[in-house]
Formats: sequence, C-alpha cells, structure tokens
Amino acid sequence: MDYGHPLRFGVLLAPGEHVATKALEDLVDLAELSEELGYDLVTFSGGPAQADPWTLASWAAGRTSRVRLLAAPARDGNPAVVARAAASLDLLAGGRVDLALATAHTPDADAVGEAIDVIRGIWSASERSPLYVEGKHHRVAGADRGPAPSRTVPLWIDGADPALLRLTGQKADGWTAPLALGTPPAHPGGHAEDGTAADSAPADSAPAGTAPAGTAPAGTAAGPAPDGSVVDGVWVGELVAAQRVIDAAAAEAGRDPREIRRLARIAGRFTADRGGFLTGPPEKWVADLLPLVLDAGFATFVLSAGDPETVRRFAAEVVPVLRTAVDRERRARGVAESAPARSAFVRSKRREGIDYDAVPASLAATAVEPGDAAYARVRSTYLRGGSPGLVLRPGTPADVGDAIRFARTQPVKLSIRSAGHGISGRSTNNGGIVIDVSRLNAIEVLDKETRRVRIEPGARWSDVAAALAPHGWALSSGDYGGVGVGGLATAGGIGWLVREHGLTIDHLRAVEMVLADGSQVRADEQENPELFWGVRGAGANFGIVTSFEFEVDEVGDVGFAQFVLDATDTADFLERWGAAMEAAPRDVTSAVILGRPRPGQPLIAQMMAVVDSDDADTIVSRLQPLAATAPLLDYSIQVLPYAAVMHVPPGTHDAQGEPVTRAALADHLTPELSAAAARLVRSGLTYFFHIRSVGGAASDVAPDATAYAGRSANFQLVAFGHSRGDLDPAWDALLPHFSGQYINFETDRRPERVHEAYPGDTLRRLRALKRRYDPAKVFRDNFAFDPAEEDVTPGAAAG
Amino acid sequence: MPDYGHDLLFGSFITPANATPHEVVALAQESEAAGLDLVTFQDHPYQAAFLDTWTLLSYVAARTERIRLSGNVINLPLRPPAVLARAAASLDLLSGGRFELGLGAGGFWDAIEAMGGRRLTPGQAVDALSEAIDIIRGLWDPSDTSRFRVDGTYYQVAGAKRGPAPAHDIGIWLGAYKPKMLRLTGAKADGWLPSLPYMGSLDAITEANAIIDEAADGAGREPAAVRRLLNVSGRFGAAGDGLLTGPPEQWAEQLAVLTLEYGFSSYILMGDDPAVIRTFGGEVAPLVRDLVAKERAARGTVR
Repeated sequence: MDYGHPLRFGVLLAPGEHVATKALEDLVDLAELSEELGYDLVTFSGGPAQADPWTLASWAAGRTSRVRLLAAPARDGNPAVVARAAASLDLLAGGRVDLALATAHTPDADAVGEAIDVIRGIWSASERSPLYVEGKHHRVAGADRGPAPSRTVPLWIDGADPALLRLTGQKADGWTAPLALGTPPAHPGGHAEDGTAADSAPADSAPAGTAPAGTAPAGTAAGPAPDGSVVDGVWVGELVAAQRVIDAAAAEAGRDPREIRRLARIAGRFTADRGGFLTGPPEKWVADLLPLVLDAGFATFVLSAGDPETVRRFAAEVVPVLRTAVDRERRARGVAESAPARSAFVRSKRREGIDYDAVPASLAATAVEPGDAAYARVRSTYLRGGSPGLVLRPGTPADVGDAIRFARTQPVKLSIRSAGHGISGRSTNNGGIVIDVSRLNAIEVLDKETRRVRIEPGARWSDVAAALAPHGWALSSGDYGGVGVGGLATAGGIGWLVREHGLTIDHLRAVEMVLADGSQVRADEQENPELFWGVRGAGANFGIVTSFEFEVDEVGDVGFAQFVLDATDTADFLERWGAAMEAAPRDVTSAVILGRPRPGQPLIAQMMAVVDSDDADTIVSRLQPLAATAPLLDYSIQVLPYAAVMHVPPGTHDAQGEPVTRAALADHLTPELSAAAARLVRSGLTYFFHIRSVGGAASDVAPDATAYAGRSANFQLVAFGHSRGDLDPAWDALLPHFSGQYINFETDRRPERVHEAYPGDTLRRLRALKRRYDPAKVFRDNFAFDPAEEDVTPGAAAG
Repeated sequence: MPDYGHDLLFGSFITPANATPHEVVALAQESEAAGLDLVTFQDHPYQAAFLDTWTLLSYVAARTERIRLSGNVINLPLRPPAVLARAAASLDLLSGGRFELGLGAGGFWDAIEAMGGRRLTPGQAVDALSEAIDIIRGLWDPSDTSRFRVDGTYYQVAGAKRGPAPAHDIGIWLGAYKPKMLRLTGAKADGWLPSLPYMGSLDAITEANAIIDEAADGAGREPAAVRRLLNVSGRFGAAGDGLLTGPPEQWAEQLAVLTLEYGFSSYILMGDDPAVIRTFGGEVAPLVRDLVAKERAARGTVR
C-alpha cells in the first residue's frame, strides 16, 4: 500500500507543562530551525496548559517564510470564523497553510462533516450567493462568503473512529493517524504523546517504549511491540485497515484515494544501540519508517521532539537516507511518485474543450481551475466579469512558452493578462484559457548612467514608480498605478508626464518576448527591428513580452492638483480647457472627467493635473489657466513624489458584467467637437466621460516610427456607457471629429476600430508581421488583425 | 472635570482589509516606526472583506518588536471567552507582554446570527460580557489550582484547568456607550474605549465618565483604575473649525484638553494613510506629552 505521494517531513511543536514566555520562544525558535533544516511543515499542539494552537501557528507564520503550517483551530471554534481565520492566515503567510480539524475531542463525524461544509462554503468566494448550511451541529444562515485563500487549503482529519475514517474518504485532503508512533523522548518537557493540534491526550498515560494510549484504528489498541518489530503484521495491519476504510469511502464518493495524503506522527530517540521502534542509530529509524511508506501508505511524517538535537539529526541523517531508500524501492516496485491528482470536486468544475490533463508540468501546480480556492481572485478583471476554464500562471519565460504551446492546441478562447486592468484587451473570458503573467513582476536597474531599467510585464505601474523613486527617476505610464506593465507598454501609455516625456512606448529600448510558436526572441532597433516597431503599439498581436527595457527620466516631486469645476456650460468649458492645454508648456499634463448630469444640479467636471515641478510658483502659474476654464468650486494642490501620485495598494479584481466604452484620439477640441461632446454628456448615455491631454513630446515622434500612429493627437477621449446599443450610435456620430484610436480604452469590436488605430501603411506592415509571427492567429482577442485579409481600408476608417 | 493621571498612549487603527494583507502588516510596522505605542484592528468576523483579527494580531505581533497590540474591539459573540482567554494569554506570552484585550459585547446581530452565532438583546449581551470577563480572568490565574467551574446564564466552564497566565496584566478595555455597559466598565474593566465620532458631544463624554466613576466607586475601585481611551479621526492641513482638523500643533492642544478636562489618556487614530500615522506619532504625540506634563506639573497631578 503506497499512494506514491512525495515524502514530506514535519516537526510537532508542543509547549511543555509550564507555558511561559521562554517555553513559547523556544518553540518558535524550533519552528525557525525546522525551516532552516529544510522540513516541509510544522504543526502545533496546545499542550497540557493549553496555549492556543492557532495563535502559535499565526505567530510562527510571521517568523518563517517557507515552511508550511499545519494549523489547528482551538476547539469549540465557530467553523465560519475558523474558515475566515484559515484563509487569512493563508493570505498573510503566502499560501503556506494546511488546516487540521482536530477531532480527539470532537469525535462526532457529523459535526466535523458539517464544519467542513461551512469552511469550504465560506472559502467559495467565487460563488456570489450567501452561504446557508443547515446542520445539526453547525448552522450558517446567509453568511457572506470569503475570503478565498490564495490556494486550496488542505483539510486534515485526525481520528480513528470508523465514521471519521469514512468522512476522511468522502471529504478530507489528508488523514492524520491518531497514534504517535514510537518512543517518547527521554528528556522531560517533550510531549510526544500529545498528538498534534489541540489534542491533549494525557501526558503521563503511556509508559516509555510503548505507543501512548489513544484510539487505535479499528478500535484495537495497537502499536509497535517494545522490541520494535514494526513489521509485525498486527500493527501495520491496523493502519492498513484504516487506510482501506478511507479508500473505500473515497471510491464511493467518486474520489481517487491518492487525493488524500496520510500523515503519521513519530517520536523516537537516537541511541548507539538498537532498541525499540525508532530507538537506535539513524539506520534503525530508516528501517522502521520504510515499511510505513511502502506498506502502510504514509508519506508525511511529523516528528515529535522537544529538543533541537533530535530535530537536527533526523533532518541530516534520517531524511535523506529514507528518501533514497523510498526512491529505490518505489522504482523496484513500479510505484510512480506523484502529487495527488486534483480532487474530484475540482475536476467536477472543469469546463469543456480544455484538456486539463495535458497542462504542462511546469504550469500544473500554479494553474487555477474553476474549482480551486484561488479562482475567485483570478476569474474576473478590473471592469469585466469572467469565468475562464483555466488560468495559467507562468513564472518564467520558458513557462510562458509552455503556456502558449499548450493553449494554441486548445479549441477555446485565449486571453493574456498582466494585472487585469485592461478595458479593451480581454484579459478574461468565459470557458477559455487565461495566461496570467503577474508572477513575472521583477523590476531592476540595468545601467545607472543611461537610466536603463528592466521591467517584467506583471509588475504594476504603482510598483514601478515606487521602485524608481529612490533613484529620482520615473517612467510616464498611465494615470493609474493599478494598471499592469504588459498591456500598457505594448499599446501606448498616456500618463501624467506624457506631454513632457512622451508615451511609455517611446521609452522602450528592447523587449524579450515569447512568440505564438512558444519560441523566445529579443527585439530592439538592431535585432528584429520590424518586430520591435510592431510591438510598440500592437504588441498584443505578436506574443507575450516577458521583459521590457526602458530608458526612464529624471523626475522629482511633482505638483498634483485636483479641481472641481462647474461645467454647466459644457461645450465652452471643453473648448477652453482644450485651448489652454494646447497652449500650456509641456511640463503640465491634465485630464477632465464629466459624469452623468443630475436634474436640477450643475454639471460637475473633475480636472486633475500634474506639473513636473516642485516649485510652488511654477505650479501655480501652470494651473491658473486651467482653473480659469470654468467656475471653480473646489480644489486641492499638493507637492508629492510621483510615486505617491501613482500609489495604489495591490488588490484583487472582482468585476461583473462587461464594460461598454468608446474611445478615440482627437487633434483639437474644436468648437464642433466640443459641442458634440457636450451633447453626448447631456444625453446621459455616458456616465463617465474622460479626456486626457496628449501631444507635446508624444507628437515629436513620427507616425510611422512605431505602430502607434496617432501622433498628431492632442487629446484622447473615452466614454463609458451602460448600453452598447445606445452608446455606439451616439459615438459614431462623433467620428468625423476624430483622428485616430487609442486601443486600450475601446471595447467596440467592429473592424473599423482596427483601421482607426492602424491606418494605411501601418496596418500593411503589421499584417506582414502577423503573417510572419502569428499566421495561425493565436493572439486574436485584443485588436487583432487578420494576416490574410486584403489590405483594403473600409470606408469608415478615420482619417 | 477629571484628569485621571494615566500615562499617555498613542495608537493607530488600521483597516484589516484582506485584499491587501501585506499593506495592513506594513501599516502596523509603520505605526511602530512612527513611535506609536499601540496598533489596533477592528474585529468583525462576519465581514468577508476583512482579515480575521485574531490571526492578524498574532501575525503582526510576530513581525513587530516593541509596539503593543489590541483588538478594537474584539467581537465576543463569535469568540468564546475560554478560547479568547487562552489565545490572549498565549499572544501576550509570545509577544513579551504586548497584548491588550479591547472587548465588545457585539452589535450586528443579524450578521452574528448568519455566522451561526447566538442572537442576544443588547441588555443580555452586556450580561454575557460580564460573565465572559469573569471567565477570562479566572483562566488567566493558574495560581488558583482549583478546577475552574462557571455555570453562567450565557457561558459555562466545566472544571477546566486554569492557565496559561499572561506575561503581564492584560488590560480589558470595553467599547461602551450606553449606561449599562458603562456601569460594567466601571465595575470590572481596566479601560473604556469609545470612538469619538459615536460620542456625539463633549457633554456626553462627561456624563459617561461620571457613570463609570460611580460604578467603580460602587465596586470599591478607584475611578483611576479605568483608563480612558479614545478612537479619533481627523485631518492634517490648514487650521479648520472642527476637532482634529488642522496642523499638528492644533491637534496637540485639543488632545491635551481631552486629557486634562475629559480624562482621556490614550488616542487611537483611525485611518490607513502612512503619512498621517507618521505625523501623529512623530509630531502630535510628543507635543501632547509635553503640554500635558507641563500642566500636570503645574496642577500637581501625580499618579
């Protein structure tokens, strides 16, 4: 009986009889030592004086960074509170938590089963309905779900009652055998007998050299004989019998028994002479443990030892030898070592059309499926609700290649996501695959002299600003720090320094990217220059950029102003603001937002502006003409580091629905455009109408120097509406006033939009590139152009 | 009215948002770096957008060195008192005596009931809190070697072993507004922890202090046995009309008045802006300490 689980080793941390600061410090020291020594997990017992095991685990999480925590809630805990606590610990500790449902004191399998339903229900944050569980022991009546843990938190059941064994088979992710196997440590203060996790079996009930009192599997007192004959059939037989009960229940529930890991607690003593079970030199330990792996199904061992020396020796002298022995025996017996397959529950939530079993090994562990706990955090984006069938989270460029090669064979949608802020780019979908590059988020300085920095696509602009600030540098990006690097730096980048320093793509000096065939290339002015041209404005058509090299600017503190204006005379305000911006020095960039008009109230405009100066007089002189464009109702002006303007805390997205927007570039806010825009705002068909200033340095670059052709524009406009059917005709009426398209804000999918963004020769060059780099149109969901289509410009193209 | 003469404490009140767990921890560390004495988190276990407050307190305690920690305030209805007592003692031991127990009777009963908690009337909830305090203090006292039994109306303890004892005398601070709860505060608690925005007026503070003092007196305690703490919110900037709206000097003068005339000695600033936390700890706190020390010296207030 061997399920082929990878071997894992842990340390049980149990406070002694006298719980005091020193004793608890020693325990935490032991947790840190366990991490240093390479143990996979630590677990806590409350101990006889009942220190709170959850508090111990949470504290230890704060003092460690890698080791997993098999954490047990205090008894009598409300399961809904336990669920949120476990998810919280998982989020704080970076996904290192297993939850032990200690049952020595709550042997009622029904109560444990109900608690599991409550806990998993609370974690199912991707379900939008409140949670109801009507149990005999636990009742939840309309609780909000959430938070979801960062990854599935395995649930362990500890107990030997047949009903608990069946429950384990039905619902749990792991089983802890209730006996501590082996000899208790010889020194006082250790409590091998405690069992894990809030179990507080009496410390003095088991004479040294025998297994402690406890409920044996199948109700029979059992343990290794004092002479250590662990292979004695009776003792292993009892454990095997328990495993069989679990496996039968699992099979009945449609589960693979390999889903359930098996943990044995062990205690022993290193002595020169061979004694009883786990008493003797390291070889004796290995000989005693090997049959537990090969014949009794255990692959996780938790050492109960109060002394650092035993913990050290076990790690150094038993673990590696046992690993080698197990490898050898498994090879000889043909047992494949495998992590447990994804659970039957997760498999039941899979979507059609995706060959989940073919997900490359490099991606399988971090991939998120609809049944996974982390799904709630990755399904949707900033403005778009989604239900993808699979989210792949590559951590290296090679993994990105694996992801693309896999995804292109699957007959479903493919979306690419950096931080999920995109409005036009479909960085989520329904039933398809998402390649999420948020783990590729490094930011590093390559050369201080030339201010060359390397940034990966999953970083957010808030993080970039914070990383560059200590050097006195900044890179004009968008105007919101929560946006990811990848989607913006392949399309344009109209930010707070655009008029002075140009678009984000204008700072790009090189990229490394993975193409549609999974291969990796570098592109810059010398190497693959045509691809480098295309990436700057249409990058999403050619691959996934895994590394950007930018030349950034020296930027110190900036003036950041917010104005509230009475824009009741809307056309006049827009025209005046447009003229003021075109006349303004390049060190000022500004944007205005108009909301939906409210009956009987003035139409309010919010205007924001950044002045690249920390000099109060300069800031005021730049802002005065802007403030004079309409009656001023309120304002604030601050001098801030650029990084403070961009600061947005990290968070997750949970949008629902689909955004309806239209976008455009315009050269001037002419009287005609201003009047037409005012009519649109007055119509109430847009609830959020946003105009950003561009021009300046962005217009210094020739329209054919990059794939971003809209160089003549001084303004970028976007309108958010509730209804596609209402907004489209209203916006289409404005088209004669526009000069181009800014793709990142446009959600209309009619082909004319592609021609607005990429007019004439630009599109011809891009199609040639598409034929070369993505002829099969793997990248088809973000302003994609058809490689084979004739180069004919439809009549509706802007010009 | 009174100045109870307590030493001054300054703290922060950080939103335990689970969308940004590491920002929450960083703000707690920022509070310590800013010289604050105390970092606190609200506790609403039914609020799905928050981190579990107990887990967060334990994790933050492990990630800080000096600053004291408290719930503000811990939700008793969803945290059984015996568990709470042992968890509090454990955390106090682990943190070297840095934990204080801000405690509340609960208020959002629909949400508590939805989580599987027990619905109580406000009056019952105060009685339950009173029983809970007895249980918590009983478990914290292992010098009493008798088995601990409580057969209360709301909570029962069936012969538990006492312990562990915390590292220091953990203060039990109650979030109290209504007379019955204020009387319980005076009779049993170590601190009163209301939020200024809920107090309504300065007169209401004076009345509440009087109820606490009278109840303390009735229980044979000194009124000064009950520290008065206050959650405050405000804004730094140009001088304004409101309380705590202006430059740090104006804040300091107003907090000194609250100390010398209204008996408060601990100010916990609600908000998640690190710059505001730095100003509060770095500028306001020393100014208030200075003002209060001078005035106490002049008045001869000694404690």
